[in-house]
Amino acid sequence: MNAFQGRVTAALADATLKIAIDRTTNTARSKRTAAIAAWPEFAKARELGRDIKDHVIANMEYYLNQFETNAKKTGAKIHWARTGQEACEIVVGICKAANAKSVTRSKSMLGEEIGLPHALEAAGIERVETDLAEHIIQLAGEAPSHIIWPALHKTREQVGELFKAHHTDPGALETVEQMVNSARRNLREKFMAADVGISGANFLIADTGAICTVTNEGNAELTTTPPRVHIVTAGIEKLVPSMVEAMTMLRLLVRSATGAELTQYTTFHTGPKRAGDVDGPEEFHIVLVDAGRTTMLAEGLAEMLRCLRCGACMNHCVVYRQIGGHAYGATYPGPMGSVITPSLDGLEKSQDLPRACTLNGQCQEVCPVAIPLPKLIRGWRTKAWVQGYEPLHTAWALRIWEFLAVRPVLYQLASNMALRIMPVFAKGGWISKMPLAGGWTRYRDMPKPQGGTFLAQYKKHQAAK
Amino acid sequence: MKNNPPRVALFATCLVDAMRPQIGFAALALLEQVNCVVEVPMGQTCCGQPALNSGDQDGTRKIAKQNIKLLAGFDHVVVPSGSCAATIKKDYPDLFEADPVWHAKAVDLANRTYELLSYMSDLWGWRPKDVSYATTATYHDSCSGLRSLNVQAQPRKMLADVTGLELLPLEGANVCCGFGGTFCVKYPDISNAIVGEKAAAINATGAALLLGGDLGCLMNMAGKLHRDGSKVRAFHTAEILAGMGDGPAIGETA
Amino acid sequence: MSNAKKAIFAAIRKALPAPASAPTIAAELTQLRARVTATRPDRVSGPPDEVFLDRVQSPGVAATAERIISWDEFPAVVMRYAEQHHLAPNIALQPHPDLEALNWGGCQTHDHIHTDETLAVGLALGGIAETGTLIFHSSPQSPTLFAFLPLHHVVAVPYKNIWSWMEDYVASFDGKSPPRNVNFVTGASGTTDIEGALVRGAHGPGWLHIVVVGAAAQ
Repeated sequence: MNAFQGRVTAALADATLKIAIDRTTNTARSKRTAAIAAWPEFAKARELGRDIKDHVIANMEYYLNQFETNAKKTGAKIHWARTGQEACEIVVGICKAANAKSVTRSKSMLGEEIGLPHALEAAGIERVETDLAEHIIQLAGEAPSHIIWPALHKTREQVGELFKAHHTDPGALETVEQMVNSARRNLREKFMAADVGISGANFLIADTGAICTVTNEGNAELTTTPPRVHIVTAGIEKLVPSMVEAMTMLRLLVRSATGAELTQYTTFHTGPKRAGDVDGPEEFHIVLVDAGRTTMLAEGLAEMLRCLRCGACMNHCVVYRQIGGHAYGATYPGPMGSVITPSLDGLEKSQDLPRACTLNGQCQEVCPVAIPLPKLIRGWRTKAWVQGYEPLHTAWALRIWEFLAVRPVLYQLASNMALRIMPVFAKGGWISKMPLAGGWTRYRDMPKPQGGTFLAQYKKHQAAK
Repeated sequence: MKNNPPRVALFATCLVDAMRPQIGFAALALLEQVNCVVEVPMGQTCCGQPALNSGDQDGTRKIAKQNIKLLAGFDHVVVPSGSCAATIKKDYPDLFEADPVWHAKAVDLANRTYELLSYMSDLWGWRPKDVSYATTATYHDSCSGLRSLNVQAQPRKMLADVTGLELLPLEGANVCCGFGGTFCVKYPDISNAIVGEKAAAINATGAALLLGGDLGCLMNMAGKLHRDGSKVRAFHTAEILAGMGDGPAIGETA
Repeated sequence: MSNAKKAIFAAIRKALPAPASAPTIAAELTQLRARVTATRPDRVSGPPDEVFLDRVQSPGVAATAERIISWDEFPAVVMRYAEQHHLAPNIALQPHPDLEALNWGGCQTHDHIHTDETLAVGLALGGIAETGTLIFHSSPQSPTLFAFLPLHHVVAVPYKNIWSWMEDYVASFDGKSPPRNVNFVTGASGTTDIEGALVRGAHGPGWLHIVVVGAAAQ
């Protein structure tokens, strides 16, 4: 059994995990459905969102230059990082230069992708995750299992146990309200005491040099406002031309993610503290990170760079909803992860991800920027086939079948022969065990073939006419 | 069109050919009701989807070329499966993007190819007459037909005219059943978990029958229902519409 | 140019070898913008301030709200709010001259905000009817943390600054240099991080009360 299959087996055996996955994703799907139903213009907005992202990606040099120029004018310091490691080094370097002892972090999937939590810890800097879900998994010592709800795999009972063990004066922890209040009290002073606040960016606004963060809790602003230094890490694909386009993207993003029309807090951050301001960071750094994005552009995955990280594809994925996020063994789970991960981690290592997909297309249907996820997933399968990663037994089975499929007479002969053998294994109308069919019959019965191929019967039928 | 009946090729699909020829005969019966001149080209095997979804584009192209040649000259090609029809209609042209000659032929075939249920309803406005079946049924929308070919309202409209048949809504009718072609045997554990939920939803409708438009999905769901001891019986929609619902359901002996 | 930037741009150029000219890009963008109006949720029918009042109290935003005709009534509204919620009349008053000019007799005010502030009173720059959103522009008179630290936030918003759609707000500041922070606030802080269940007051305010000030003459 390979590593992926092992994680899948463990996930499927975990009944609590399934309860946790269902509680959040069921709510997410029904809220999204209601939000889209209340927005008849969604189809048009989705096409516009797709075209805006494609426009920016096609003109990436132009918009990156424009963003850099404008951000610098506001007093922001711009850094460029080719790799995740380079980005982490830059962030850790800024923290060290600021003599930072404590850093607050507002959830950013890019940060997870490049291993920033680990890099900060390795540098001996106290890291305080402020997003409630990130706080939960930090206490649990785990990785996120969803890009919107990183602690989706935890039931409320498990969260209660964690807070009881780690919080100061948690009080009663029977209701979700009590848990949220305990986290509020425990994180409050940390926000104000941090030396550096680190956030991601949902959008980079090219014509003003602003970066946009989107949260429901208000933790992004509490992370970025009190500390002396604010560091933004952002993927270079996060650009939009201006605030006008940001509004369209926000409508699409938030409804697709949580079913709300806007998150409670949407903030556009433009440079450091101004003269007379009583709060705000004195230093404002933006680290623009490639980490595989230009590779995706070069290897035919430009459409994937549209991704807004809303999580709708995973909420609607039948595979994700059975195995959860950790089974994917990567930062990004679900359909979007199955496209991104082979590019980031290499196809050989992650070949199972694009294969473990039914290609049912619901992910594409709900994607707010119409990413053709099944097509891109199939693209990885094509590469895996060409590179010879397909397991030998299935590759040979397929080759033999293909050999027959282009030889119709032989194919009919082989079919009719198999159809004579199969009934031997049947009991009544069903086969519950048969050599070479274990993948099917382990869990389901196979109907006994009716007897003789359609073509053979049809021929007889015509001859009798 | 009625003055000049179209010459139609029935592309039965490999699963119908091997596992359940009755669906092929049901399709023939339906097509004859709209006065098509139907032929069953003997050189047919499979649309090639297993190869395509396994990543073997070269192998798929060989099969596609064979089908393009085989199905040339027919006015329409009708397929009793949304999934296989979508492979011919949507994927064949993409496969030959770099080959203008074959691309043109693939597009031509794509334009002439139809999924059976939508063909009957959309092109012919056909409704069953004098078909009665007093029972309850629930309908699962197979993914390719639903999302690639927009097959959703048509089967329901036609089934509504089967006398005595009551359609009960299936929770999550548009959610994948976990078949996914080779997926179900490559990742049987995940597939089982998915079809387990589907089977529970089907049982919860209380319907006596499960109907759909794709034999692969139907075999997956029927096989799971049977393993779990459910009494729900499964048919391809075409069988019911052609009045063959009194025969054995999937997995039943005559 | 840093080496990293050079390398990233070289990689982009390799993947996209024929960059469009600036005028072509601008023309494309103009075409995209022409499509925006047709994509907006078509629900702002009626005066924006009325739609706004309706939206902020809808279940999705779930703030409380009221309208007063003149600024002079605002302190009384705040006092009444404090009483209803059993809060001491001790308020963090956003240091905005329009607020400071009002008569706050009967309650204690301070012009800064504590980490555990119970009640803050603020003035929003404006609002958006479409989404029921308050907008704050950071400035010496409008520190960002006033909208994030208190448990209760009572916010006045002038009725004239309520825009119909998000784009209308954007258009009215087009060409002006943006403040350090533009904060869109749509309801009280909330989280759905534990089992998808919505709980208010995660880190930011748990209660948001909005007071629209003024009304169009009948």
